[in-house]
Amino acid sequence: MSATTTTPAPASVRLTGQGGTSRHRPGDGRLHRSERIWGRVFIAPPVIGFALFALAPLIFSFYAAFTHWNGLSAPLFSGLTNFRTMATDPQFWQSLWNTLFLMLGIPIGLAISLALALALNRQMPGRAAFRVIYYLPGVSSVAAISILWQWALNGDFGLVNQLLATVGIEGPNWLAEKMWVKPALILMGVWKGIGFSTLLYLAALQSVPRTLLEAAMLDGAGAWRRFRHVTLPMLSPVTFFLVVTGIIGGAQMFAEINIMTPTGGPEFGSATIVWYIWQQGFQNLQLGYATAMSLVLGLMIFLVTAIQFYLNSRNVFTVE
Amino acid sequence: MRRRRFLTGAAGAAATVAAGAAAGCGNLHSADPDVLTFMFRGSTQEREVFGRAVELFRQRTGHRVNLISTAVDQYSTKLQTAILGNSVPDVFYFDAPMTTAYVVNGVLADLTPYIEATDLPVHDIWPAGLDLYRFDGERIGRGRQYAMPKDLGPFSFGYNKTLFAELGVEPPDPDVPLDWDEFLERCQALTGDRDGDGATDSWGTSVNVAAEIHSYMWSNGGNWLSDDHRTVTIDTPEFAEALQYIVDLREVHGVTPSINETEGMDGYQRWLRGQIGFFPVAPWDLTLYRTLDFEFDLCPYPAGRGGESATNIGSLGIGVSATSRRPERAAELAMFLACDPDAQAIIVGEGQTIPNTRSHAAEWVKDTSLEPQNKQEYIDIVEDYGRFVPNTVTYTPEWLDAFHTNLQPVLEAREDVSEYLAATQPVMQDFLDDGYEQFRIDQEANAQ
Repeated sequence: MSATTTTPAPASVRLTGQGGTSRHRPGDGRLHRSERIWGRVFIAPPVIGFALFALAPLIFSFYAAFTHWNGLSAPLFSGLTNFRTMATDPQFWQSLWNTLFLMLGIPIGLAISLALALALNRQMPGRAAFRVIYYLPGVSSVAAISILWQWALNGDFGLVNQLLATVGIEGPNWLAEKMWVKPALILMGVWKGIGFSTLLYLAALQSVPRTLLEAAMLDGAGAWRRFRHVTLPMLSPVTFFLVVTGIIGGAQMFAEINIMTPTGGPEFGSATIVWYIWQQGFQNLQLGYATAMSLVLGLMIFLVTAIQFYLNSRNVFTVE
Repeated sequence: MRRRRFLTGAAGAAATVAAGAAAGCGNLHSADPDVLTFMFRGSTQEREVFGRAVELFRQRTGHRVNLISTAVDQYSTKLQTAILGNSVPDVFYFDAPMTTAYVVNGVLADLTPYIEATDLPVHDIWPAGLDLYRFDGERIGRGRQYAMPKDLGPFSFGYNKTLFAELGVEPPDPDVPLDWDEFLERCQALTGDRDGDGATDSWGTSVNVAAEIHSYMWSNGGNWLSDDHRTVTIDTPEFAEALQYIVDLREVHGVTPSINETEGMDGYQRWLRGQIGFFPVAPWDLTLYRTLDFEFDLCPYPAGRGGESATNIGSLGIGVSATSRRPERAAELAMFLACDPDAQAIIVGEGQTIPNTRSHAAEWVKDTSLEPQNKQEYIDIVEDYGRFVPNTVTYTPEWLDAFHTNLQPVLEAREDVSEYLAATQPVMQDFLDDGYEQFRIDQEANAQ
């Protein structure tokens, strides 16, 4: 080590010492102490809010899942009873299956929104108007959309069946037949979510570097190969985001079901897991059981999301 | 200085927001000890009517009441959340089937001492309504009084007089029920193409199974539960025959709108349009029905092999919170709404309910200026042959819900009625047994 070599100064010195000689720790001065206090005051409301309304209920729910709790009086510890009940409860498995089935709407919605985004990314008359129109369902209330689609899916005079009738198809009673109720809900879900996905895809499309596309073109890549090997990988972060949030949102589907099929649909065909949790907790006085199901659902969402992050860690395009 | 003032102001604002959020988060108590909170539900019109009755209470007693009104579909969840949060309103509506659970778990105050001390005519209320909210620790119908009936809703049957006259069909007798064969004959006569376009546009009746199966099944000698309410009894010939009769009305005889026709426009909508001959005419619908461009009146439900008409009665309870800081005053409001003559005049005057007291009802049936003419039918149901659906006497309603879960294929005649009932009985029995087990556990837990 030469005489001119300098040892890196401690972080505190570098941070606080104007002349490099101060030995005060950060925030020791009156000004800094005051800022530290005010900083804590400012972050206190969200932290307290989180602790009160998210963390505390979450911790309590771990306990409540192992209790017999009717929601009217104190919980009684019951061990694994709720989880054993869950394992043999056909309605739990049916509602879980329904929830998974409804998630078929996610890839369908992504494909349509990508196609729409590609179309809206081109110069065309009324492009701005189309963007607004497609996004409108995204800012509408779920209740209003559900009521609207209840009419649209009406078996006799609903818009969907009237459109089908114009091409000679007699539409089913969408919400009254077990076979059709889930496709009907998927149809509505795709329509509802398409504006949001399209908007994100559109933004991502516009940020694809032209240099990459031009380089690919110079290498002789056609339109499809440019899309397949340049555009699509560049869109993968958005796709990943939409899939993750879509699965989380899909697993929590409730309001649409409660409004459109308030009894869980024909032969329990549209009851989602969250709807079933609500029914057990608030209608059948089984809040302990409902909490146990919520925990299992939360765990499932966590695992699926973790797996997605793991699988996509090498595939998703990122800009370093 | 400027920065400090800004920081102080911002912190104060944040604290105010946080405090406000905490204070307003589902707390349905009033901070003012002189103010009662009353949580209720109903249509806009019904809420306005009860608001006027509460205002009369304030004028009469000087007690202020803070009203919390909620849309019907959100009410039970909101009430349950308030109970969970230990912020139950002083006075509140609740569904009659929740009585047992609310008493066992200490949600409802015992109103018996207040009833004994009041001058209000509580004992003039329909006995059936009062009994629905009595509980002795084991069974509904006896013991202490835990709520007042907000109303009794006799689910009566009616007919479109104008349609009967147009098609030349003999109207039903107001006192003697038709038997099922006679009822079918009338329905067949009422079903047909009135405008000559080849499509059916009038039907004998339209059955809403969830609401109406009780009358067909009871009048045929069937029942949901055994006398001790411990066994589900849907797997009997009487029950099967009644359900088959309902299915056949549509699938064999075509005297009700088909599944497709019902989905397109349900029976209620078709009744409003004058296309249905026989249809339920419950009191809460009278305000609307009186605006229709056809005349209607009441008749008994057709009787099955039992030979006597049967139907169900609905009710909402007005309860007082067991944790109310003003239980005496709260009980006074509950009793006032249920039986004070002036309050009843306001409530009944709007035509959404029948009188809650016998003496008022005696005058009400004589009034022939308003439809239906045969108001006595409502009184007969409440006093004589109406029954409560037995989910009002069990701890949880899940066992009855299970009946309807997979019923659709049966109603469409894709599944055999007897096979369905045989397969569903054990499922319902399991839910009923679970309910009793839950009842036992909760009783023990709350006794500790």
